[in-house]
Amino acid sequence: MFYLAILISKVTHFLTNLLKVGSGYTFPGYIVLNIYPNILRSKKIKFPKGLVIISGTNGKTTTAKLVTHVLEKKGIKVVHNKSGSNLLRGIVSAILLDRDIFGKTKSLAGVFEVDEFSLPLLLKQLTPDVLVLLNLSRDQLDRYGEVDIVLDKWKKAVSSLSPSCTLVIDSTQERFKDFSKIFRGKTLPFDADSVCLKKTCLVGDFNAKNVSAAIETARALGFEKKEALENLENFEVAYGRGEEIAFGKKTLHIFLAKNPASFNNNLDLLIKKEVDAPTLLFVLNDNIPDGRDVSWIYDINPEKLYKACSGKKIFVSGKRYLDMAVRLSYAGIEVEGKNLKKNLKSALSEMPGESTIVLPNYSAMLDTRKILTGRKIL
Amino acid sequence: MSKLVIAYLYPDLLNLYGDNGNVEILSYRARKRGFDVEVSENITKKTNLVFMGGGPDESQRRMYKDLLENKGKYLKDYIENNGVGLFICGSYQLLGNYYKSSDGSVLKGLGVFDLYTKHPGNKEPRCIGNTLARLSEDILKDPFFVPNNMIGKTLVGFENHGGRTFLDEKEKPFAKIVKGHGNNSKDKTEGVLHKNSIGTYFHGPLLSRNPHLADFLIAKALGIYKLERLNDDLIVAAHTASENLKQ
Repeated sequence: MFYLAILISKVTHFLTNLLKVGSGYTFPGYIVLNIYPNILRSKKIKFPKGLVIISGTNGKTTTAKLVTHVLEKKGIKVVHNKSGSNLLRGIVSAILLDRDIFGKTKSLAGVFEVDEFSLPLLLKQLTPDVLVLLNLSRDQLDRYGEVDIVLDKWKKAVSSLSPSCTLVIDSTQERFKDFSKIFRGKTLPFDADSVCLKKTCLVGDFNAKNVSAAIETARALGFEKKEALENLENFEVAYGRGEEIAFGKKTLHIFLAKNPASFNNNLDLLIKKEVDAPTLLFVLNDNIPDGRDVSWIYDINPEKLYKACSGKKIFVSGKRYLDMAVRLSYAGIEVEGKNLKKNLKSALSEMPGESTIVLPNYSAMLDTRKILTGRKIL
Repeated sequence: MSKLVIAYLYPDLLNLYGDNGNVEILSYRARKRGFDVEVSENITKKTNLVFMGGGPDESQRRMYKDLLENKGKYLKDYIENNGVGLFICGSYQLLGNYYKSSDGSVLKGLGVFDLYTKHPGNKEPRCIGNTLARLSEDILKDPFFVPNNMIGKTLVGFENHGGRTFLDEKEKPFAKIVKGHGNNSKDKTEGVLHKNSIGTYFHGPLLSRNPHLADFLIAKALGIYKLERLNDDLIVAAHTASENLKQ
């Protein structure tokens, strides 16, 4: 059955790419899970050098990329899921597509980022060597319901997790405070460490936490802290997470701002001038992956918004550009009429000056990247 | 000069969907016209506008006891004495007679609004989506309501609730649903207008795209008929664009 599942996933992947119907990195897993809902329990799925599962509202993609980087620097081949394909189907796709039709793979480790809501389901099928829990805050309430509901499910999942796993958690998260008690195995807490952060190309307190999480994960997998840190020196940022893209003669710096927590984090970067540019472009969409409700923009701290925007040229775009402009106006930031850009493509090509910082939410980030690079990532 | 004194009750517990935006918006629009604004967490003699948002179940459980035993009686007196108020989602439900959970358990409400809410169980889908409604005639005829010709009688918003609310015959709805579920997906009613207080399922920053409603609350709270007009062109554009959003 395992081999058949691989074959099905390969054929689906090929057909979805050929026919351009949906994502070749989620659809194969979707089909396979419909036929074999327990595929992940297969004894053939093994990760001799470690299986790492990372979840949380913010920081999953960056942390997964950091952990993968540390492992690969040591010559360990890693299978990981693409950012955004972080439901069960994305993980199944990644695992199956990584193998040849005889079921063989060269990957010795697996590093998967998992959507907060899917994590409990996944843990019923797969036992990781390291489970990394970053944080939990409000995000996409129209899809997920309330944070407390997700937290409850996490608690249940953690309490029944095998003690062979190591739990890596943010020690400052009030919501996680009893996790080390309910978990039967070993817990490695982490917190922001500015010294470690400086070794990487990343900025911001939130990234300091992601770096610390990655280092603790590496330690759980048998690395020395020193080695893990050295391996991070030439790390490159993940898609849209502080990524710089050259577009003609201009440089656009993209900082994913998909919920109140990540938005406020990015505003802190601007206020502290850890990143700077004369022009700021906000892009707000309300597609299904973003959550169709844009109410959350009023949870962005208005004082931070004002400080981050002061002295800069402000532009807005995206499907809900008017809502974003109204939100800015209530924070005391007037956007000039000519800077209200319904069309993202023309907005990006008309950005004045040499450099612009773009703050898009999730699908807006994908759209922005697609326009700037001419390629789709999902 | 009059002062807008807002009591924002349980701001930390009841702010699920950016509800606090409403307090930011009311303050901004009042200050823009030169009025002083004070925001506190308690109802005092000076309070002329009360706001409460919606919260996750756990937070609502935590504030529920305090509301019933402490703040509740002041809130009830305030509303019954024609105080101006806006109560969103969870707090709208709590101000009713009772909330019946899907398991049949009954949570007594404050009994200010003559209505009850019933959760149909998790098999019934939640009422989620963009909404469009027409303001009630009582508001449109109110001398404190200044119509915005570009917006007319409409109200746009977003709803996300499991409970279905049914008004007693004596109570009047706040608006009539054009698009969306409103109180219960059945009778096209949305929210309640009880004296000068409004309960509604249009959650989060309801006032952001509905400046006519924000100004109605401010005018009523301050007792001033003709508020100075603000330049709302951008907000009107956002309101109009929202009318065409998919439910």
